[in-house]
Amino acid sequence: MDDKRRAILAEIPRLRRYARALLRDREAADDLVQDSLERALSRLDNWRSGDSPQRWLFTIMHNLFIDQKRRVVRRQEVLPLSQDVADSIVSPPTQFESVVSREVFEALQAIVPERREALLLVAVEGLTYAEAAVVLGIPTGTVMSRIARAREELRASLDDAARRRTIRVVEK
Amino acid sequence: MTNREFSENDIHLALDGEMPVEERPAFERWLDAHPDMQARSHRFATDRDRLRETLAGILEEPVPPRLSGMPLIPEEAIKGPPRLFWRSFAAAAILLVGGLGGFILGRMNWGTPLSGENVADKAIAAHVLYASETRHVVEVGADQKDHLVGWLSKRVGIHLVAPDFSGVGFKLVGGRLLPSAHKAAAQFMYQDHAGVRISLYVVRDPGSHETSFRLLKEDGARAFYWLDNGCGYAVAGNVPENTLLTLANLAYTQLDAAVTGGSS
Repeated sequence: MDDKRRAILAEIPRLRRYARALLRDREAADDLVQDSLERALSRLDNWRSGDSPQRWLFTIMHNLFIDQKRRVVRRQEVLPLSQDVADSIVSPPTQFESVVSREVFEALQAIVPERREALLLVAVEGLTYAEAAVVLGIPTGTVMSRIARAREELRASLDDAARRRTIRVVEK
Repeated sequence: MTNREFSENDIHLALDGEMPVEERPAFERWLDAHPDMQARSHRFATDRDRLRETLAGILEEPVPPRLSGMPLIPEEAIKGPPRLFWRSFAAAAILLVGGLGGFILGRMNWGTPLSGENVADKAIAAHVLYASETRHVVEVGADQKDHLVGWLSKRVGIHLVAPDFSGVGFKLVGGRLLPSAHKAAAQFMYQDHAGVRISLYVVRDPGSHETSFRLLKEDGARAFYWLDNGCGYAVAGNVPENTLLTLANLAYTQLDAAVTGGSS
C-alpha cells in the first residue's frame, strides 16, 4: 500500500502541469490535483498494480475536470467575454508570466475543454492515442479528430494574439 | 514502401508518433510535393514545441505542502472533511517550517479572495491620481519618514514600514493617508532616477483570506496585490510586470517581518 502511495506522490508534478494547462489558474489547478489525489487515495483498491499510476490518475482527473466543467455551465458562471475585456481584467496566477507564455495559456483556454484534454495528453504528456482514449473514455479515432481540431483552434488563437500584440506595438 | 494516399490527418499521426516507421519516407515525399501541407506540418510542430516549453517549468516548481503532505497522512484522516483538514495541516506546517516555508505558504491561496481585486483597483486609482502630481505627490515627505510611518501605522491600525526599494533603484518620496470605504489606507510613493513612480498601498481587511500574488491591469497602470495577515496590499505603477513583481516580493518580505515581528 505504501508503494502505491509513493508511486502516486511521484506523479504530482506531472498532474500539476496537466491541471495548470487545463485550468490556467494556479490555485484552481492545485485544487483539482488535490481533489484527484484525495479520490485516488480513497480508492487505492481500484488501482490494479499493472496499470501505470499516471494513466490512472489522469483518468480520475479527467472525470473531476469534466464534472467541474458541467457544474460551471449549469450555474452559468461562464460569461462570454470579449478578448479585450478578458485581457483587461485577467489576473494571471501567482507567478509572473511572460507575454509569450501568457499567450499560450490564453490560447489553450480558448480550445473546447474536451479537445484541450486530448491535445495536452498526447502532445505534452506523451500518451499514445490508445492511452489517451482509455483516459478520456472515447474511441481512438475520436482522440485524433479532437487533436486535429484542437491544433486548428490553438493556431488560430496564437495568430490572433500575435496580431493583437502587433497592433498594440503600432498604437504606441 | 507504401503507395497509400496521404491526407492532412497523417500530419497529426506523424507528429504524434502514431505513423508506422515504414510509411514515413513516403509521407516525407508527399510533404515535399505539397508545400501547403509542409507548412501546416511545420506550424503544428512549432506550436507543439511552444506548448511544451511554456509548460515545462511547472514540473520544476516545488510541490505545495498541501499536496506533497497528503500520502503521508493516515487514510482515515483523508476521508474526513478533506480540504479543511489539509489547510489546517498546512497552517501547522507554517509554524514548524517557519522562515522560507512560511514565506511560501503565506503566499498560497487557501480560499476565494474576498476583496483582493478591490484593493488593487483602489491602489491603481490612487496611484494614477497622485503619481502624476508634480508638487503635491505626497502629504508627508520622506524627510519626515519616522513621523510618516508612525502616523500611517496608527491610522491604518497595523505596524507598517516603508519598504526599502533602493536595491531596485526606487527611493521613497513620502506617503499619504487615503480613504478606503470606511477604513483608512496608506500609500507610500517611490520614484526612480528617471522620475518613474510606483506606489505601495496598504489597507486593513481583517476578514480577508490569504492570497497569492495576483496581477490586475487597468488603463495606465497595473498592480500586483495580495492579502495576508488581515491586510490587503498592492504595489501599483506603470512599469514592466517583472519589475513590479520584484517590488511586490520586496514589500511582502519587509512588511511581513514588520507585521508579524511587531518591530522594524
